Amino acid sequence: MTVVPSTRIYEGTRIPPRVPTILDVDPSKHDPGDILRVNFGPNHPSTHGVLRLIVDLDGEAIAGIEAVIGYLHTGFEKTMEQKSWWKSVTYPARIDYLGFHANELEYVLAIEKLLGIDVPRRATWARMALAELNRIHSHLVWLGTAALELGAISMFWYAFDDRDAVLDLFELAGGTRLHTRYVQAGGLAEDLPPGFTDEVRKFCAAMPKSVDEYETILDKQKIWLERTKGIGLLSAEDALALGQSGPVLRASGVDWDLRKNMPYLAYDEVDFDVPVYANGDVYDRYKVHMDEMRESVRIVLQCCDRLDEMEGEPWIADDRKVVLPPRHELHTSMESLIYHFKIVTEGYRVPEGEVYVVIESPRGEAGCYLVSDGGARPWRVKFRAPSFAALQATATVVQGALVADMVAVAASLDFIMGDTDR
Amino acid sequence: MAERRPQLALKRELPLVSDRPLARAGLQSERVLWPERGPGVFEREVAEIEDALLLTTIDKAVAWARSGSVWPDTFGLACCAIEMMSIVSSRYDIARFGMERFSSSPRQADLLIVSGRVTHKMAPAIRQVYDQMLEPKWVIAMGACASSGGMFNNYTILQGVDKILPVDIHVPGCPPRPEALIEGIVRLHEKIRAGVPPAYEIRGVAE
Amino acid sequence: MTYEAVPGVVETREAFGETTLVVDPARLVEACTHLRDEEGFNLLSDIAAADYLGWGEQGVAGYIGTAAGRDLHEPGSQGLAHVPAPKPKRFSVSYHLLRVGDVPARVRVQVWLDDGEAVATLVPVWPAADWFEREAWDMVGVRFEGHPNPVRILMPDDWEGHPLRKDYPLGGEPVRFSGED
Repeated sequence: MTVVPSTRIYEGTRIPPRVPTILDVDPSKHDPGDILRVNFGPNHPSTHGVLRLIVDLDGEAIAGIEAVIGYLHTGFEKTMEQKSWWKSVTYPARIDYLGFHANELEYVLAIEKLLGIDVPRRATWARMALAELNRIHSHLVWLGTAALELGAISMFWYAFDDRDAVLDLFELAGGTRLHTRYVQAGGLAEDLPPGFTDEVRKFCAAMPKSVDEYETILDKQKIWLERTKGIGLLSAEDALALGQSGPVLRASGVDWDLRKNMPYLAYDEVDFDVPVYANGDVYDRYKVHMDEMRESVRIVLQCCDRLDEMEGEPWIADDRKVVLPPRHELHTSMESLIYHFKIVTEGYRVPEGEVYVVIESPRGEAGCYLVSDGGARPWRVKFRAPSFAALQATATVVQGALVADMVAVAASLDFIMGDTDR
Repeated sequence: MAERRPQLALKRELPLVSDRPLARAGLQSERVLWPERGPGVFEREVAEIEDALLLTTIDKAVAWARSGSVWPDTFGLACCAIEMMSIVSSRYDIARFGMERFSSSPRQADLLIVSGRVTHKMAPAIRQVYDQMLEPKWVIAMGACASSGGMFNNYTILQGVDKILPVDIHVPGCPPRPEALIEGIVRLHEKIRAGVPPAYEIRGVAE
Repeated sequence: MTYEAVPGVVETREAFGETTLVVDPARLVEACTHLRDEEGFNLLSDIAAADYLGWGEQGVAGYIGTAAGRDLHEPGSQGLAHVPAPKPKRFSVSYHLLRVGDVPARVRVQVWLDDGEAVATLVPVWPAADWFEREAWDMVGVRFEGHPNPVRILMPDDWEGHPLRKDYPLGGEPVRFSGED
């Protein structure tokens, strides 16, 4: 088998030649005697969780880097193969634990695609509203922790205060702050509580002012600009070659957002813009995150208006083979009792097939490859983790940077170790 | 939304567990929520231990000082780390307990809050971090995964960090609410003030 | 969307709105280079390896309440054990490609391998394939010929076995009441 590489990918790119994900020390640029190998071990001051970076330093400049992952490998995929379809929905939320709704959603969308059931529009719009609230939550935590790592410590408290407001909304709808498990195959697990849209509107009224405040603090701050402008460059070709998506891709100048280009749920019915910045440095990624928060607020307000129109509509599909019947029916209908019994004891079955469902999670392209053999359990579930791809890009992005910039770069790539290691 | 949060009236006469002043200052959450009940199991045990230990005034002062500034180590692993970060935030302010100084260096930390699932690959690193901490040191296993492996019972997750570390307080939840973690921390403070030795000194607990 | 020009395609399947191109493993790099350069699939989204050991051995009954596949003599299976169609080989490696551009499209390129067979690495075609292939090797044990750094990525370096294979046990501790069989 002869491998014929095309030079079109490699022309003018900064992808390390031997291994795309490992930057080797270049003996022509750095004297091997000057190199100090430092281990940024799994436990380190930055807040990204258990990432290990083995960095070769020439003074303060980074000469080589290698990322070692796997310290949070939880075996989601194998565990979910042993759980029934109903029970396995609890697991995906913990993969990308900041964008928990996105992971649940992609898994449930994959199940629904195989099942071929129609989800009522109230559920679709509610899922969309919660997905955008989740995006705001994830970006706020990102902002707080990234700014904290770069030294703008007070941003942490501001961002987390707003984040608690978002989690209050999730608690109102789903019963718990994180990992709500609010999506069910067929719709939502329960209806949205009354007054939910009013609370969401109150939050959305306050949110754009908060984003403006954050930008006032950081946008023109000299230290922030020096630490983020021109640092961690990633060109559009490199980004595509390395499988980037989401804010990282959009900050490199590629106008690509799954919500606009390959819409799912009801994103083609809402009005929003996609922020794209051209420079591909840390500052642009920060700007993309900030603008996305504003756009998410716009989407959520539109969802609230539509949800108010759909007040009283069903929130879950009517297919009794998959969805539990409403409890009052169990007293009167024999068939409902039988379905209830079958679903609770054996679980519903999903027809044979394989699907790959991709959504735009706060981190980018998050996908679920689902193979079913027609039985009561998934045969194979594979989650495409945007953070996995983002970490691959570390070796390319960090070239020519100093060790302090590495922290900024790592923060801007917005990876979550749970998502990377699954 | 204001109606959903009950207003707790805290100014009430509460029955004393013993006439020792420290026990009166202990955690009274159970009595606040169920005023008819007597002191809970935790309070009774803490009071018994305190009676048995007969701490001197110096010991009590040292214990009080220790409990007042337990500095945690930034050991966030997974989802529970997000909730641990949220206790630092302004709503669930942990600075009121003197614990806002999270230290990345284990040499300067007193408390290891293991927040998140521990894999077999990560276990030696955790143990090394724990070994690098100086006595007295405490461990809180936060969340279901750290306490017992949680919802993951498979080839890669350590079924409870107490297999490799002596744990003082287990906080249940997936993830535990920030209030739950704070309750665990406050109970840890109570244990410290009562004079209960850290877990590594108790015979029978893994060392 | 027609993919007749792609070299090495053995079979084309359309299901659930998705196109799967089953490709001869020996011509995988050729097919992927064609897809990247001629068809414009510039982003490799995912590489998913799956193990089909035991596929179809346990009859999986049809939907509750449908007549599809009923056998009255098999209690608990609700019917004639419906056996899914057998797979050509034990392992499948699916490459999910995405076209980022004016006409967005997704396609799945699939190769089938037996235990011990190797397939060429796609790192020269899309550098993003690096870690995905390492993960497939680590989890399922599919070898990628020519991969620049074929070491374990998620499991510890000295781990033995490939966890996502069907003959690898789930592990963990025995629990008294687990609720699953």
